[in-house]
Amino acid sequence: MNKSITKYVLLLVLAIFLLWYLLPLYVVVMTSLKSPIEITQRTYLLPGLELRFENYVEAFKLSHMSIINSSIITGAATAISTFFGGLGGYFLSRFKWKISKPLFVLVVIGMFIPYQAVLIPLVQLMATTRLALTYAGLILSYVLLNVPMASTLMGTFFFGLPKELEESAEVDGASKVQIFFRIVSPVAAPAYVSTAIIIFTQIWNEFLIALTLSTPYTTPITVKLAEIKGSYVALYNLQMAAALISSLIPLTFFLVLQKYFIKGALAGALKG
Amino acid sequence: MVSLGRGVTKAGRKFRTRISEILIFFLPLLFFTAILYFMVTWTIYVSFSNWEGVEPKYDFAGLRWYELMFSLSRTHIDVRNNLIWLIVGVLPTLFIALFLAYFLEIWGARKGESIIRTLILYPASMSFIVTGTIWSWMYQPDKGVINTLLRMLNLSFLESRFITDPATANYWLILIFIWQYLGFAIIILQASFRTTELQEMVEAATIDGAGKLNTLFRIILPNIRGGILILLSLLLISALKVFDIVYIVTFGGPGYSTDVLAFFMYIATFQQHLVALGACLAVIIFVIAFILVIPYTLYALKRWFT
Repeated sequence: MNKSITKYVLLLVLAIFLLWYLLPLYVVVMTSLKSPIEITQRTYLLPGLELRFENYVEAFKLSHMSIINSSIITGAATAISTFFGGLGGYFLSRFKWKISKPLFVLVVIGMFIPYQAVLIPLVQLMATTRLALTYAGLILSYVLLNVPMASTLMGTFFFGLPKELEESAEVDGASKVQIFFRIVSPVAAPAYVSTAIIIFTQIWNEFLIALTLSTPYTTPITVKLAEIKGSYVALYNLQMAAALISSLIPLTFFLVLQKYFIKGALAGALKG
Repeated sequence: MVSLGRGVTKAGRKFRTRISEILIFFLPLLFFTAILYFMVTWTIYVSFSNWEGVEPKYDFAGLRWYELMFSLSRTHIDVRNNLIWLIVGVLPTLFIALFLAYFLEIWGARKGESIIRTLILYPASMSFIVTGTIWSWMYQPDKGVINTLLRMLNLSFLESRFITDPATANYWLILIFIWQYLGFAIIILQASFRTTELQEMVEAATIDGAGKLNTLFRIILPNIRGGILILLSLLLISALKVFDIVYIVTFGGPGYSTDVLAFFMYIATFQQHLVALGACLAVIIFVIAFILVIPYTLYALKRWFT
């Protein structure tokens, strides 16, 4: 008796929880396919009379340039920071020099530095070097801010890797550089992928740096979406369609590569 | 002679590989880290300067802007709001995620796992700007989704002014944060449940007849300290530097009721052009962040270097 009551309470809590978790997605999809007039009728749970996919066409027209911008900036910054993260992570996990320990501390704290703490100098640097007007400015900023995270994630993976293979290669006369590129890196492919996913999502979704450093020619998607929300106040259908479009790329990455995401560096990070 | 010659080339080769090791593995990381901390130092320097307006001005002003900052009631509101964010935003996320992750594990939904995982993770792949846009629509007081649905279900007494109510606006914003981070937290915890050692321990405890909750608190929790610590640090820092949600949903309003340090920092620096004041706020944010990540840093240090 008592047990069944607990069970029902548990189920109720779970139901409310699921509603809270999933309702937004449902309503957003419904709303994005309606006309503005249908939205004023406030039948949010029902689909519209006809599914207006042209909302997506219009939202895409508004946002496609910034999706291209975001792809260039995020793609380049992710590739560069993951590459250097691999090198740095290998250093932190395999080279026990005197400087390794202090550098490790700086890198780990660096991973958590709030962007506000570097924002003013960053804007100043970008303005004086005139990089602020180009993709390079944003790419460089994101690389700087993400190398510590990439190094820690990659480093934790290398840290958990058995050393025997590398040691026997060293006995055979291979240098650390050769070992890293020929032996360790191929094994680390899943870690590279998962680190890249985490950093890609982070940069794609970043707003503060994007807002302060982008120009009308380099506007990333987050900034564009904030603009759309501000200038199409009543057009919720357009807002929601644009919101969904802008999440499509990171969501696809997540879904396609989720196995890596979970089994790769993250699992490693937890053991370390 | 011969052996000596060989010895020299060997030493030479060793020296050359050392150089290439330094160039390839060490210098890039040192370079990026150095620039990062150089910029932090620069911010601290600006916070002691008299920089007002667009042009940089580095004349020393001592603690002038810090005094101003601490005298502003806006700063006090912000610190209070940030504290609410740190506590209400992080602890429930951690606990709910812990129970849900454990529930999913013992429920053993291995079959539908990829679907469940997709549903769990979808908010995590969105930006705060996206979730903020979505939830603004949910929360909108007169036409918004939640209030409309409540009226439809004859539950009007549950209606709320949500983000337009100064007393509770913070909590509605924090709920967006929890919505966004919960799935991410669950995935991290699930990953840390699934180490082989831990699985074996849980199995042994189950055979010994330990209850589910007992297993969770006595066996699992003490053994996933690493996972919890990194998750806690990530959540705390994200809650501390929250800016996007505030910017997109309330812009700090109504009044200053949802203002936070990070938002004030942005406004002070880029809209009021009180750059020195912005730098002071940035330093405060940095110091809090630094304190918050000390436990994880010590833990990681111990793990890696002993």
